[in-house]
Amino acid sequence: MSLETIKPSPGFHNYLPKEYQDLIEDGPFHQKRKVSELGSFKEAIEEHPMCAGCAMTLFIRLVYLGLPSLEHSVIVGTAGCGRLAITQGAVPFIYGNYGDTNCVASGLKRGLDIRFKDTPKDVIVMAGDGGLADIGFHAVMHSWFRKEKFTTIMLDNEVYGNTGGQESGMTQKGMVLKMAPNGKKFEKMDMLGLAKTSGVAYTARISPTNPTKVVNTIRKAVLIAREVGPTYIQAYTSCNIEYAIPTPKVMDDAREVEKDRYGYLEYFSDEAKEYWDKSEADRKKARKAQVK
Amino acid sequence: MYVVADIDEEICGATKCRLCTQFCPEGNTILYDEVRGTAYVAVDRCKGCEICVGICDDLAKHHAIKMLGINEIVDGFEISKVGFKTTLVESKPE
Repeated sequence: MSLETIKPSPGFHNYLPKEYQDLIEDGPFHQKRKVSELGSFKEAIEEHPMCAGCAMTLFIRLVYLGLPSLEHSVIVGTAGCGRLAITQGAVPFIYGNYGDTNCVASGLKRGLDIRFKDTPKDVIVMAGDGGLADIGFHAVMHSWFRKEKFTTIMLDNEVYGNTGGQESGMTQKGMVLKMAPNGKKFEKMDMLGLAKTSGVAYTARISPTNPTKVVNTIRKAVLIAREVGPTYIQAYTSCNIEYAIPTPKVMDDAREVEKDRYGYLEYFSDEAKEYWDKSEADRKKARKAQVK
Repeated sequence: MYVVADIDEEICGATKCRLCTQFCPEGNTILYDEVRGTAYVAVDRCKGCEICVGICDDLAKHHAIKMLGINEIVDGFEISKVGFKTTLVESKPE
């Protein structure tokens, strides 16, 4: 069904851009692709104008690989660096106004559930720390309080990278930036703690140092959001421009920060844990039955 | 003039590690040819960040990737011209 959705009428096939034809012939839609297959299939993300060596770009690329069903997903984003790449993906993208991404996603998810009763549709909010922790903070919190069933992914570069380097709520205390010359005076916001307190079903903190782990975490968050409740992923995606990290050192920085203060962390609510353990056991059983 | 990644296909072909394809921030920029068993670069997409060089040198320890000036690369693969290919074997003239 999925491939059929994007397949054009035969008469139009040759008039479509080469990129679209490639997506139909060798794309990720008709079969689940693994991290080890990267480079051997046409990816959902196209060429985009994000900076060279940006860790956020790598993370976004892996998110597209982690989505359990690309053809039934909608991504909601807002102003910020991330949207430069997300708009070039082969997944519908909705550009929320700054601050209302989680309101848009709430309505969208409820609407999709009414319209498509038999097909699970995934809504994913993917925006920066400014879009979610500062300007979109109230919308994020209320979507969690209301237990809206979608995933929120924060691309945490700890700065407003797109507008010249202002401090955000997620910037580390004491950090001196171009537009924060005296250093930030307050602590980094504890969004993971807030998520836990507001009853989010699954939260994870991750750095893009292990592609397989990123892909598995995204998949887990989206599947839990489908059945249980809101999920939240906070990813360290450094800004090599505002933090003056030479591009060859971007992965070294990610590894250092991961070791220092951004190590892998996940939290399940009781309900989410029960659901996940059961679905994993079912998947294992199905796999064993297939082998036999 | 700008630099792009260039993969030594002889060294890469002997390893089959594929790590650079997983860590490149750009989609479909370091591609993998299943038939020849080696990674190769779409020179029109590479932004020259050198992350792949670090991955190949430090993580994989294969030292197969070097940065080269775009004018030093002969017959570089350009994905915007020919589109995605699962292998370059057929498209290369004999």
